[in-house]
Amino acid sequence: MIGKIAWKNIWRNKVRSAVVIIAIAIGLWAGMFASAFVVGMMNQKIDSVINLELSHFQVHHPSFQDEMLPKFVIPNSEEIIQKMNNNEAIKNTSPRVVAMPMINSANYSGMLKVTGIDPENEKRVTDLHEFVLEGKYFEGIKRNPILLSKKTAEKYKIKIRSKVVLTLQDKQGEITAGAFRVVGIYDSKNGMYDEMNAFVLAPDLQKLLDINHDVHEIAVLLNEHDLAESVATQYQEEFPNLEIKSWMDLASGMRFMVEAMDVYTFFIVGIILVALLFSIINTMLMAVLERVREIGMLMAVGMSKLRVFKMIMLETVFLCLIGGPLGLLLAWICIQYFGRYGIDLGGASYSDYGFTNLVYTQLDMMSYISVTLMVLGMAILAAIYPAVKAINLIPVEAIRKI
Amino acid sequence: MKKNYVIEAENLSKIYAGVVPVKAVDEVNLQIQDNEFTAIVGPSGSGKSTLLNMIGGLDRPTSGTIKVNDILLNGMTDNQLINFRLHHIGFVFQSFNLIPVLTAKENAEFIMLLQKVPLQQREKRVMSLLKEVGLDDKLDSRPSQLSGGQQQRVAVARALASKPDFVLADEPTANLDSKSAFNLLDIMARLNQEEGITFIFSTHDQRVIDRARRVITLEDGKIVSDEIR
Repeated sequence: MIGKIAWKNIWRNKVRSAVVIIAIAIGLWAGMFASAFVVGMMNQKIDSVINLELSHFQVHHPSFQDEMLPKFVIPNSEEIIQKMNNNEAIKNTSPRVVAMPMINSANYSGMLKVTGIDPENEKRVTDLHEFVLEGKYFEGIKRNPILLSKKTAEKYKIKIRSKVVLTLQDKQGEITAGAFRVVGIYDSKNGMYDEMNAFVLAPDLQKLLDINHDVHEIAVLLNEHDLAESVATQYQEEFPNLEIKSWMDLASGMRFMVEAMDVYTFFIVGIILVALLFSIINTMLMAVLERVREIGMLMAVGMSKLRVFKMIMLETVFLCLIGGPLGLLLAWICIQYFGRYGIDLGGASYSDYGFTNLVYTQLDMMSYISVTLMVLGMAILAAIYPAVKAINLIPVEAIRKI
Repeated sequence: MKKNYVIEAENLSKIYAGVVPVKAVDEVNLQIQDNEFTAIVGPSGSGKSTLLNMIGGLDRPTSGTIKVNDILLNGMTDNQLINFRLHHIGFVFQSFNLIPVLTAKENAEFIMLLQKVPLQQREKRVMSLLKEVGLDDKLDSRPSQLSGGQQQRVAVARALASKPDFVLADEPTANLDSKSAFNLLDIMARLNQEEGITFIFSTHDQRVIDRARRVITLEDGKIVSDEIR
């Protein structure tokens, strides 16, 4: 009976109930959509970091990352790679040669990070080959091919088959140079990465650097994303003379960014929930205050305080049970739609900071559940004050109220 | 031999605190027996509603004692008083008596639901009570679809549904036209005579006073006359 009265009570003022239902639905939608946007943006950044920039973890000579000198190669790299390739947790490895040469075109010169790769190996570790816009991924030019980004090509005013010269120091510290021809132009949509990186064949760079078959970096891709830190730690213990770091530690600021995004999401959802809280308190308080005499009468004829409390709480719960699924459905539709077609943020500013301009919303089931529970919990919390106000009415005074 | 009273008030006083304290009820001694049809009358501010509220356990006396069927109401907690009212007292208020979202039948049934009376018993009693008050053809009508008199008759049915020790009616005819008021009084008088239900009214209404078998007059919180007819 209490449930029946509560259900009927919410339809006494249809406009007011509609406002609360819409507030709950929008609150839920906004909370979920904001979370899905941030999660989507972060996951895309993490995907980019793992699948393009760093892989899950990397192996270096302990001094290489700081000094970037050609002499700091990984000793016994073939043996390490073989060992890693026998580990079931590891999907693939890509040995790399890394240098920081001056690059000169007919129009411009500057500095780039040039990575020497084995194209087939690299395909199994990064998505670089998928981003080639013009030319081919190391096909068509046999001698000293170089793959540049669209940004670099525009900056240096070079085209496919244009010649560029890389000038660098070899292992002995002698200045050496090599001419390379542009085999392909890629665009990863990560402006910051594209601006800095060019790729050549590993043997070409090894020859220039005079390091035989040695490499500076082994990029390792795992089968499971979550194992990055533990497998990296395991190999660090096995090879204490090398530096083995997971993507979280390699990408400066990435760990901070992931944590900052969590806090940012928490605040966004928090602000929405607080707005919802006051909206529900206000509405339910109005609903109680305009029924003072009726509530007084109910208590006078024998309705216990607990039942009055339950009635007011149930009214809010019913409003939530209508607004909640509406908001969930709305959020799900929007997240699915923008998860498929993306949200175009426009401009290049996000790309300059390593984020893509097209954000695909994503939200896992746990987040749907947790945001829903937070909104419902907040709504129920909001109903407590009006319900307490109702049970504190003194029947003899309440029934006399005009 | 000591008589069995339904209501027994002894030296009952109620003082409202304030800059100037107001003594609404002043040392009232009152006994009401079973089957009475009693009107408490007096001018506005004489203390009749306050007395009625204390008898009904809605208000607490400043001093004195009040017993209903030998059960002392003084000292009961709020929740105990609510439970006591649910099982022992029927109420008919001046206005705003019914739950607007429920039908006449659901309103009459409401107290029994709170008492957890089984469904069959509840259905039987509510149908018989609504028949008694002449509303068996308005079972599914909401209060807004009923006249003031019909609403008060539903309130009487609801007050009786719990099989209370007595019914307290605070100005039950105040908002009714003559025809509805007489109709309501007829029903209450019949229930009193045929089923022995005790009714206690607080009223100014001469129509109620004329039908009462006992009239207690209050002035300045004191009983100034107690007439049994």
